[in-house]
Amino acid sequence: MRKWFKSLTAVALALSLIGGATSAASAASTLKGSIVINGSSALLPLTLQASSEFKKLNPKVKISASAAGSITGPQAVRKGIADIGAVDWDASIDVPGFKKFDGQVANPVAVTVFAAIVHKDVKVNSLTTKQLQDIFSGKITNWKDVGGADEDIVVVNRKFGSGTRVNFQMKALSGTEFMSKGDNYKEVGSSGDMKTTIETTPNSIGYIDLPYVTTKMKALSINGVAPTEKNVLNGTYKVWGIGYFMTKGKPTGATKAFIEYIQSNTFQNGSLKKLKFIPLASVKNLK
Amino acid sequence: MIEMNSTAQNAPAELGNSIRTGSGPSFDRRTRLRWANSAFRIACIAAAGFVCLVLFGILFLMFRTGILTFQEVGFAEFFFSTDWDPENGHYGALLFIYGTIALTALTLIISVPFSVLIAVFLAEMTPKWLRNTLRPVLDLLVGIPSVVYGYLGLTVLIPWLRDLTGKPLADGLLAAAIVLTIMVLPTISRVSDDAITAVPKKYRDASYALGSNRFQTIFRVVLPASSRGIVYAVILGMARAIGETMAVVMVIGNTAQIADSLFKPTAVLTSNIVMQISSVEFDSTWNYALYMMGFLLLVISLLMIVAVRFLQKKGASE
Repeated sequence: MRKWFKSLTAVALALSLIGGATSAASAASTLKGSIVINGSSALLPLTLQASSEFKKLNPKVKISASAAGSITGPQAVRKGIADIGAVDWDASIDVPGFKKFDGQVANPVAVTVFAAIVHKDVKVNSLTTKQLQDIFSGKITNWKDVGGADEDIVVVNRKFGSGTRVNFQMKALSGTEFMSKGDNYKEVGSSGDMKTTIETTPNSIGYIDLPYVTTKMKALSINGVAPTEKNVLNGTYKVWGIGYFMTKGKPTGATKAFIEYIQSNTFQNGSLKKLKFIPLASVKNLK
Repeated sequence: MIEMNSTAQNAPAELGNSIRTGSGPSFDRRTRLRWANSAFRIACIAAAGFVCLVLFGILFLMFRTGILTFQEVGFAEFFFSTDWDPENGHYGALLFIYGTIALTALTLIISVPFSVLIAVFLAEMTPKWLRNTLRPVLDLLVGIPSVVYGYLGLTVLIPWLRDLTGKPLADGLLAAAIVLTIMVLPTISRVSDDAITAVPKKYRDASYALGSNRFQTIFRVVLPASSRGIVYAVILGMARAIGETMAVVMVIGNTAQIADSLFKPTAVLTSNIVMQISSVEFDSTWNYALYMMGFLLLVISLLMIVAVRFLQKKGASE
């Protein structure tokens, strides 16, 4: 009986301590509000990581993040569905294929590195730009033509409106058109779908940003250069882009604080780097 | 409406009771009740009217937005071209219409024989205790969310089909049809089961008395007698198959090409809408075309519901 009572006291004490701790934290930050983020799935790992850290510091801010491809970001902001539209290109200016979004401000948040990826059993480790162009336009259809086994190539593409697709097409394929039909061709809706499809489909090839690369797939070197932070910074690996958070006008309130948190040195050199994004400051001198 | 009628019938009796028990002046009580009855009646009519308003609102909105497609796209191109490439101004929706019809047809070809056999087994052959276990199990199957079916299709069915056929990519009509079959199977078999059970026992007795065996009784007497109920079940299953989105989008391959083989990645009306609607500009022909496709789906499923009602009425009048 005594023992039971003792443990109960301990639990009660622990509970009150936890309660005290949370109330202390909420007293520390008076920032309130809710932030809705939509758009690029390439940036989603960063958004999720940042929001879980930001919510710890500011418990009264609610953040909900989802992703369905870059173009949905600025469009959701225009329609007023989202406060932040994550996008893999600067949507405040015209880019090939996409008109600018008037009245939106592009807040740079990270450098994203994109890589061609294959299923882990594919023997090929490196492809030239020409070979990539031929594979993604449907001219090369068998792995043996690029030094692999005698197997059909399954091409997995992102759907229209993906920022990863735009960056990969411009920078890895030098603007070559993608194929759009075929028995061994399919389109997926987000980076997460791309990851699952490449992991589970033998002989498949696709492309994704580095945070999604797992051991069940292989990131290819392009023209012999591996997709690493080092190679981006020394200027040899070209397939990367800056990710932006689009806001309606200049960001305010909780949204402003959240973007500033992501742009802060602590986050840029800490969690962001760990996720395999590259801090904005390191690429200032590139290009 | 049924509830309203029964309330109206019960009201006088209740009125009489309250007068007899004498709770307060009878006139007040009567006026109050009359007022409550008419208020309830108005509330019911308003609710029914609201539902109709929502339905016609949806139809009108879909049609009004969808029809804008034809400002820039020819009627013939939309319905008779298979070239869907909105980035370059081609809006041929035939491949999606074809995909939806082909997928539904394939689903029914696989699911209807299975379901009818299940229904016959349940209604005619099972011992009572097994029937009482199987029926709730089928009812539970109806309630499984479609995303679960889609996920299983993606992670179990597709790798299995890939091994079986040796195709590098097994996404396509067959994979989607198998997933949909598993989805509509419980619906069709449960409703057919009820139809078969409703066939009067005297039909069976007469059949046996004339010397036919069990097989002949089931296929020559019971099934023809319950055919209308079975058709009703098939239409219900069809409506579910046509509108299904989540499970289909995960296994169909989502590529805008007409499927000339069972294993070619393709797209149907629902899967194409859900893949593209969030990526298109609000005031673009592309967006209008997606609305038009939604309107087509709506019209198809409404026609099916009308067909179901028609069959039910005909069945009741006989």
